[in-house]
Parts: sequence; C-alpha cells; structure tokens
Amino acid sequence: MPKITSLAQLHEIHQQYAPLLDSRTNGQGVEGGERLLLVCGGTGCHASRSEQLVADLQTLIAEHGLEGQVRASITGCFGFCEQGPIVEVFPDGVFYVQVKPEDAREIIEQHILNNRKVARLLYTNPATGEQIETQHDIPFYQRQKRVVLRHCGLINPEDMNEYLAAGGYLALGKVLAEMTPETVIQEIERSGLRGRGGAGFSTGRKWQFARTYESGEKFIICNADEGDPGAFMNRSVMEGDSHAVIEGMAIAGYAIGASQGYIYIRAEYPLAVRRLEIALDQAREHGLLGKNILGTGFDFDIDIRLGAGAFVCGEETALLNSVEGERGEPRSKPPFPAQRGLWQQPTIVNNVGTLANVPYIITHGADHFRTMGTETSKGTKVFALAGQVKNVGLVEVPMGTTLREIIYEIGGGVRNGEFKAVQTGGPSGGCIPSQFLDTPIDYESLRDIGSMMGSGGMIVMSDKDCMVNIAKFYLDFTVEESCGRCLPCRIGNKRMFEILNKITEGKGTDADLAELRDLAQVIVDTSLCGLGQTAPNPVLSTLEYFWDEYLAHVHDKRCPAGVCEQLLRYEIDPETCVGCTACARVCPVSCISGAVKKLHVIDQTRCVKCGACMEKCKFAAISKN
Amino acid sequence: MPDVQVTIDGHQVSVPANSTVLDAAKVAGIDIPELCAHDALKPIGACRMCLVEVEKQRVLHPACTFPVSEGMVVHTASDAVLGARRFVLQLLFSERNHFCMYCQTSGSCTLQDLAYEHGLTHWEFDRAFPKMPVDASRQFFVMDHNRCILCRRCIRACDELVGNRTLGLKNRGADTMVIADMDIPFGDSSCISCGTCMQMCPTGALMDRASAYMGATDEITRVPSRCSLCSVGCGVELIVRGNRVIRVEGDWDAEPNKGLICEVGRFGLLHERRQRVRKPLVKADGALADADWDDALQKAAEGLKSAESAVVVSGFSSTEAAQAAVNQLPGKKMALGGALVNGDNAPLSVLDETDLIIVADVDLTEGYNYRMASFPIKRSARHRGVRVILLDDEPNGLDAWARYKWSPDEAERAVELAQHAEMPVIVYDQHSAALAQELAAQLPKAKTIGFAPEGNTAGLAEVGISEPFANDGFSAYYVIAGEAAEVPQELMDALAKADFVAVQASYREPWEDVADVILPSPVMFEKDGSLVNTEGRSFELKAGVTTRRPSEVEVIERLGALL
Ligand SMILES: Cc1cc2nc3c(=O)[nH]c(=O)nc-3n(C[C@H](O)[C@H](O)[C@H](O)COP(=O)(O)O)c2cc1C
Ligand code: SF4
Ligand code: SF4
Ligand code: SF4
Ligand code: FES
Repeated sequence: MPKITSLAQLHEIHQQYAPLLDSRTNGQGVEGGERLLLVCGGTGCHASRSEQLVADLQTLIAEHGLEGQVRASITGCFGFCEQGPIVEVFPDGVFYVQVKPEDAREIIEQHILNNRKVARLLYTNPATGEQIETQHDIPFYQRQKRVVLRHCGLINPEDMNEYLAAGGYLALGKVLAEMTPETVIQEIERSGLRGRGGAGFSTGRKWQFARTYESGEKFIICNADEGDPGAFMNRSVMEGDSHAVIEGMAIAGYAIGASQGYIYIRAEYPLAVRRLEIALDQAREHGLLGKNILGTGFDFDIDIRLGAGAFVCGEETALLNSVEGERGEPRSKPPFPAQRGLWQQPTIVNNVGTLANVPYIITHGADHFRTMGTETSKGTKVFALAGQVKNVGLVEVPMGTTLREIIYEIGGGVRNGEFKAVQTGGPSGGCIPSQFLDTPIDYESLRDIGSMMGSGGMIVMSDKDCMVNIAKFYLDFTVEESCGRCLPCRIGNKRMFEILNKITEGKGTDADLAELRDLAQVIVDTSLCGLGQTAPNPVLSTLEYFWDEYLAHVHDKRCPAGVCEQLLRYEIDPETCVGCTACARVCPVSCISGAVKKLHVIDQTRCVKCGACMEKCKFAAISKN
Repeated sequence: MPDVQVTIDGHQVSVPANSTVLDAAKVAGIDIPELCAHDALKPIGACRMCLVEVEKQRVLHPACTFPVSEGMVVHTASDAVLGARRFVLQLLFSERNHFCMYCQTSGSCTLQDLAYEHGLTHWEFDRAFPKMPVDASRQFFVMDHNRCILCRRCIRACDELVGNRTLGLKNRGADTMVIADMDIPFGDSSCISCGTCMQMCPTGALMDRASAYMGATDEITRVPSRCSLCSVGCGVELIVRGNRVIRVEGDWDAEPNKGLICEVGRFGLLHERRQRVRKPLVKADGALADADWDDALQKAAEGLKSAESAVVVSGFSSTEAAQAAVNQLPGKKMALGGALVNGDNAPLSVLDETDLIIVADVDLTEGYNYRMASFPIKRSARHRGVRVILLDDEPNGLDAWARYKWSPDEAERAVELAQHAEMPVIVYDQHSAALAQELAAQLPKAKTIGFAPEGNTAGLAEVGISEPFANDGFSAYYVIAGEAAEVPQELMDALAKADFVAVQASYREPWEDVADVILPSPVMFEKDGSLVNTEGRSFELKAGVTTRRPSEVEVIERLGALL
C-alpha cells in the first residue's frame, strides 16, 4: 500500500472501500457481492472458542466451493456476552446466539446453501418465548446507543480497509487539513466530552492546559491499563476497533502539539496488544502515522508500553512513572501531567474510551454529540454489566439512562433473588440501593449518591449478597493493590479491612463501627492519589445504605444474607435425624454428640463451621442459617 | 517570574514563584512537621505528615509538594490539620513495631519527637505486629525493617544524591519493604557504605552500629568541622558525647559535599584498627617502649642534630603545623603524599553542570581516593544523562556508570567525543596528571579537576612545602605523619636505611619498624586548625574532643626549641 499523502486521496480511498460495508450497514447486498458471516472475536466469545468457529466456517466454505461468494470473518465484541459466541449473517441480518464450532456445518448447509434459518440458534425472548431474528429487535440492544463501540460487531479489526470504509481517519484528515489546534480543542470542549477513565474531567479543557504550556516536547498517553476487576470496556474497543484509538490519539497530538504518543496497556491483554500492533503497522504503512502525515507537515507516532498489571498503574501519575521505567507509584498533584508529565514535559493522559469518542465527535460534530446525554454529561457510556443480572455483557447507553433501564430492560433483570444494590465505579465506587434505581446516571448524580462513574464497571447484587462482605471484598482488593507510598492508604485501609473482618466473624463492636466511619473519612481526606481517596467508598456507601446489615452482624451476630461463614449456625433437625452417626464421625473437632439411632446435637460453642456434617448427612437433616 | 505573596497562619511572606508551601513556611519561620521530605531531596508527598489547609482547596494538601500561588492563604495549625497529623502518627505506630524504649535511636528520632509533640500516649488502633526481618549483613550499619516507615528517604538519597541506586522497594501496600539491589542481603549488595541513607533515615530503621544506644539528642553536641582524610575536605558534623566522637555525619550546608561524605570520612577513623600512639615511644634494645615527653623530645633532637636531616610532612597535618615545621625545624621540607597537581582547578560543582566527564586513569571509589567526587559523577550519569568516559586499563568502580571505557592509550577517542561537548570536565590525580594535560591541551573548553593527594597538600604548598619526597640520601628524618597509612615505598625504604628516624604519628603502623622515636599526634577529631582543599578553599578544622596531649603545633615547637 503506498502512503496516502493528502486528504483528497484519503477521501478517494474511502469511496473505493465504502461498499465493503454496505451489506452490513443498510442490509442491502451489493451486486455480485458476498455473503458475510461475522463472528464475534470479543473477550467472552473468544473464550468460548469463537476462533475455532471461524476456522470451521472457513473450512466448510472451502469444502462447498463457496469462496468468493461467502466469507467468514472475525469482528469486535457485540456486547451480548451472555449469549455468545455470536454470529451475524449479512446481508440477511440474521443474528445467531450461543453458536459452537459444532454448529458451523448447520449454518453453512442449512442457512447459506438452503436459505433456511437455523431456528435453534436464534435468540429467544425469555419474557415472551418468541424467537427474534435480528439484532435490533432484541431488547438487550433496544435501549443502547453504540458510539464508542460503533465498529465493534461491524468491522474486522485486523482489516484496515474496513476501517477506512467506515470513514476511518477522515476525522484526522479533516483536523489536519481544515482545522487549527485551537478549533479542534474548541470543538472537543463544546461537545462536552468528559474523561471516561474515572474522574470525568473536561477533555477539551485538559487539552487546552497542555496546549498553553510551552515546551519542546509533549506527549499523548492512552491509558489502557483498565485495572478494575471485571472491566473489559477498553479491552473491547482496542480489540474491536484499534484504529479508532490511534486516530483519537493523533488528533489529540495535533491539538496539544505532541508528536509522540504511548499506549500504556496491561500485558494481560495479549490480543489487544496484537491488534494494536497490527493497526500501528498498518497506519504507518498508509502514512497515517509517522512523518508529514497526509502531507500536512504534522509528525506523530505511537509506541506501546506494557504494564505489569498493578491496579494503581492506571492512575495517571503512577502510569507516568511506570512508562519512565520507575516503580508505578503516583506523584503528588499539582503539578498535573498536563503541565509536568512524562519526563517532566506536558503530557495528556486519556482513557481509551475518551480517545475513541474523539474521531466520532470530529466527524459528526459537537452539536450532534451534545444531543446525547444530560445537562452536565454528554455522549454515551459503556458499562460492563455483571453480577446477579440475567444479561451479562457490554452495554453502551446515552448518559442519563436510568439504572433501572440498564438493569431491567437491557440486563433482563436480577438473576438470583431480589435486587439489593448495584455497584458502579469498581473498587472506588459505592453500592447504590434500590431507592436510586430511577436516577438518570451521569458523573454528578452518581457522585451525589455516594458512588462514581468510574471506568464503567456495573455489578448487580441481590439479597443473596451480604453487603458487609461486599465492602470487605472491595477493601481486600485495595489493600492488596495499594502501592504503599502514602501512609493513610497503606496502613489505614488495612486497619479498616481488619475491622470489617472482625465484623464478618461476629467479633465486631459498636466502637469498631464508629472507628470504621472515622477511618474511612480521614483516608478519603488525606490519601495521596485517587486509589486511597476513593478506597473507603464501598464501606462508606454500605454504612450509609445498609446500616441494618452492619448492626445485624455486630449486635445479633447474624448475617442476614447467610454469607458470612463464621456467623452461620449448623443445626440438626430433630424430626429428620435418624441417628446414623455419619455427621459425628466426619466432624473434625468432634463437637457432634448422640448415640446410635438417637438424635444428634451440634455443640455450637465448638463448631468451626466447616460444613462437613451437612455434606455427609444422607437424610438432609442438617441445615445452616 | 516575580515573587508571590502568601499568608501562612497570618504571617505574610514573599517567596519565589516556584516555592512549595513548605519552603514558604520556612521563610515565615513556621514549623511544619515532615517525615518523608528533606531539603536535599525532591519531595514526594508520601508520609502526609505535613498536610496543611489551603483556603479554597477541597482537601488537605502536603506542604512539601504543594506549589504556592499569589494570594494563597494557608493554615498549619487548624483542628483539621492537627487531627490529620495525629491520625497519621497513630497509623504509623499501629503498623510496624515501634517500641521506643528498646530502640537504639530513642532520643534522637524524628518519629518519636513528633509523637511526643502531638501527645500520643497510647495506641488508638489495633496493632498489626508484623514479623519483620532485621538485615545485619553490613559492616557499619543495620537495617531494621520493624522501624521503617517507608518514607523512602534512604532510597531517594542513594539514587538522587549518591547516584548509586542500591536501594529499592519490593511488594505493595503495607507489605512494601526496602530492599538492596534485587532483594539480596544488604551486605552483599552494590552499596558502597557511604551511609547517606542512614543519615537520611528519620527513624531507627537504619542504625549505626558504633553509636547505637549512645546518642539521644539532648546528650550529644554537634561540632561542625572538616574531614581531612582526602583533599575534597568534606564538611562534617562530629557527633560528640562525653568527650567522645560517636558518629560522623555530613554537613548538609557545607560545600563542596552538601551533606554527603564517603565511607572513609564517616566510618574510617571510628573503625580504625591500627593501634593509637598515646604516649611517646622510644626505641631501646630494638623495641619501642613508653617514654616521657622530655626524654622522647630530647632523644629526637639528638638524633636529628647528629646528621643531615630532612622533614617530611604529610597532608594530614594542618596548615598551622606545616607552618610551624617551616619556621621551627631545620632541614629540607618535603611533602609525604606527593605533588600538588592542580593548576587552575575547577570547583567540584562543575560535575553537576557538565555534559561530559572524562575520568583519566583514576579510581575514585577506593582507598582514600576523593570518593565523594564519585557521587556527583554517578548522579550526573544517572539523572542528567551525562556521558562518562573512563580511561583506565584496570577494573574501575565507575564501570557501571561509564558510557565508554577505553585504555589511556586511546585518549584520542575521548577527545573526539569531548570536542562536541558544551563543557567537558577532566578528572585526574597526581598519577595521571600527564594524561590529563594531554587531554586538556586538545580540549579548549574543558575544565579540569586534579585531586591533590591527602587532605591538606594544598595547605602545605601555601606555606612552601611543595616538593614531593625524593630520596636525596639524608641520614636522619623527622616525619610529621598524622593519620597517614599509605606511605610511598620509596620513603619507607629511605627511612629503613637512615641512621635516625623520628615520627610524629597518630598510629604505630606503619612506623613501628623504622622509627627510633614516635611522638603522639592527634587525629582529625582532636585538632583545631585550617586546611586547604583541592579546590583551593580554606576550611576550619574544629576539635570535637579535648585531649591532654600536646597539639601538633606544640610538639613541633618544643622539638624546634631543642634543635
Ligand atoms: C487507582 C486508579 C486507577 C485508575 N485506573 C485507570 C485505568 O485503568 N484507566 C483509565 O483510563 N484511568 C484510570 N484512572 C484514572 C486516571 O488517573 C486518569 O484520570 C485518566 O486516565 C484520565 O483520562 P480521561 O480524562 O480520559 O478519563 C485511575 C485512577 C486511579 C486513582
Ligand atoms: S493512595 Fe494508595 S495507591 Fe495512592 S499513593 Fe497512596 S498508597 Fe499509593
Ligand atoms: S550507604 Fe550509600 S551506597 Fe549504600 S545504600 Fe546507603 S546511600 Fe546507597
Ligand atoms: S529505612 Fe528509614 S529512610 Fe528508609 S524508608 Fe525506612 S524509615 Fe525511611
Ligand atoms: S513531609 Fe510532606 S508528605 Fe511527607
């Protein structure tokens, strides 16, 4: 591929490739065009052998001599991970779910050769029992608005022509040829785009700061650390649409006056790294990275830096240290990276999602972007929906969508029991109770109810979850992940964890509860970085909204959800016990007494709650509660 | 940028725009407690001890990193601030094992002082009692992790100041631990025993073996003096208790060392194994025996008068002693350590400004070899990307810091590179003076630093003793040796052949076999006087302790009177 040397040429190439996507975007087959089987290559589907599925489809296509007429190709995450692996057939628009490699033959021989849909692979609406054929008719998708995920499930991420066909790099071209750095920044600021990495700072304003600092060298860093447990929003974008991230970075580089970018990505994302490397090579080959991009004199290139996976390395200043080869510990702010960042030069650190929004805004305009979202938060937000919810997956909704809409309409409702809480913002967020289900979510509303937007983790909890235990779980994570630099986080969170541990073991006191609250508040106020400053949020929010559960643990030595092992009682039902002695023989501390054929009794003071007796009893006479 | 006005606890001060709140507080004379910050280090805001309230800011900020801005109003003693400080201290004491009554540093510990100041009388939080190891594998000091507060001052000092980068961290969170190199015993590590880390440590985690349990702040005095063991002439503080120097520290305010000293200056004399000369010794029947002063001086005078004598003065003598030798003693005067090589010497501070350093065939990391000078070279290589070129055929302690290492025969390669440098610096000593000259002749922009041997060779030259020792067949010698340990073989041979030898020395070695008379000489802790370092600066030596023995000068004068 020769280098593209002007915007005009880029437009020509776009026109030339655009038909590639026609069958996918407007459901129209191209004259003499192929049929396409798009297979999800996202994280979840990949794990369910979707790569094998593509290979099998390809073998069958060859077997039936269908090359040139039918093609099987990989694409980015469709988001409906619960139902994966997913295969969409174009131009028919038929959407198959839970497809296994073994189903490949049926799809080819029945659907492709005989035009008969494979009914058993269609999605069934659990509410109505109806089978649904197309993606946009599935309730999971009806509330969604895919902006950041616009190309996931649409293009093959390893084929740059498809990205160009979708209008890729036209935003960069427009920026370089027709806009000044100032107007780019104005446009981004006017769009209302705010950082998708957590704090939600105005992206345009941040760029403006970096622009104003005079310096020989400036840097753009894409924060792809994504350390929140269970989060895979950024990963999906990088795996499914790596060029969008690169294009966003180049635009940011032009805006602030940087010619070097870095993508800081965790080494545990090998597929994303590979796709990014492929995309970087392709972009360089096409002259869209490197010297004199599109003949405009703008130089910009990007290198990948692998992180070792510490959560704190996602914090922007720790990330800077890590890129510099130092231990990933945060720096004090101010000075902010926009003033003194990488190697003390002005540096912009932006989240993958933030950057992927940038080409979209340039192409569609700030005005269009502003039509989505709330007064203070524009655009969309991607969430990784997980926990006790029926449709686990990746969802993208306009800001201002309510929690109820996400959990019930998109997520299909609670999976196991009754709704109790939803946790957003990962380990830094809070647990939101049902009274706030109708809150339209944006940065401010989530903060006001004691949680935060964070990077987009959303975990649903049911009445089977113990909120004290949940708080302890998150704190355990932060205690493990604290970098150890500043004292409140390093030691304070550990003390808090110990108190929570005491409470879940039934040894907590009222004084502990008071101390927990005090500690939490001071840690928030005195820690160095965002990790420490937000680590107590899960504790604070559960203390606020689930105080009765804490009291039950402390006063009644009871865990209402029946989760905390040490607070369980194993009891033998006198009606059911036949006196077989099996339980007494298996008890490791010999605390079960009773003669043969007589009722057995557990000595509660000595029981270690191992549950061995309950497992052993053939008559289900033992229960725990 | 113009200065900015800030108000701290009601005091208005005007400070440079790039100051931190802590800097401004110092100007205003307001004390803000600090644990992780130190004037010589870049602040990192880790310990949170210095949190202050800045008006219009949502949360408390660490004074040590927070930049001032015009009109800023700061409160350092509000309830919120004091509460946060107590909280920080309570947490610190809740984690590792701080039992002050069993700590060798009790009484001179920043952490302990702060706890008293803030009224900590009991533990507020449950204690962790972690099992932490003690690393006692080093000769001079011990690392006790039980008392480490992870302020990282040691690590930063070793990296930023010494440029050695021996220390680092392992693990995360409360399990974080200071380690040496790749977590090997401290004693086996790349550490060069400069002790800077220990001097930096605000707790008892890094402790000096020699002074452990001996130095509560109110029982010691600090005497500012100089180290005269090499010609850098580092500023030191003698830590004195009960007329005994228990420890030596670098003086943070002193040039050219700015608080750093090397292993020799910090530990050398305190761990000296040679036997001190405490009484005059006179040889009788082939063995040295105690004598009284009058007899010994008489004996020395007789021996020196009976033949043609020469006086050899070491650079461990003060300038006053050298002057007395010139005035009072007959015979030719020669310098023991060798020649003064430096012509127009640049100050050592150029090492922190230059962009290229040529180390001309000298190892600055061993013996008494001006080791302090290796620190700015190391830190410049590490932190400013300065190119260090070693011209040396032997292994050199700076190997790991050098960008290039060539044989001295390949000096032209160094010249080729250095021609393009902004301000090359050539470092050498008397053994490589010719090489340095050859380099300098081809590099007009170069600055040179030639190290004079011993501590005060430049001072000797000022009073006219500039000729290095040469064996001109004298048959009697008077050697003013001081602490000298490494003596040129040529001199020892000459002494062995001479008819009579008297030495004024601090230690019996290496004189025992050749001397007919040894007169006690004070060591540097015991003398007042002046010296001139290799840069040509004059410094004052101050005695940390008093002795009943006569001073260096007094001995010379008394001997002179008999001659
Ligand atoms: C402990 C911690 C972890 C973080 N992890 C991430 C992360 O994985 N990805 C990310 O983009 N931002 C993360 N952030 C936020 C970054 O510090 C920074 O605000 C963000 O990258 C800025 O980009 P944005 O303005 O585009 O959101 C983290 C912050 C903290 C305190
Ligand atoms: S808050 Fe925690 S993670 Fe952040 S600097 Fe402090 S110890 Fe490190
Ligand atoms: S003694 Fe010196 S070299 Fe050794 S660890 Fe401490 S500062 Fe580093
Ligand atoms: S050893 Fe001392 S200086 Fe080093 S981190 Fe621990 S307390 Fe700080
Ligand atoms: S002295 Fe400022 S945070 Fe430690």
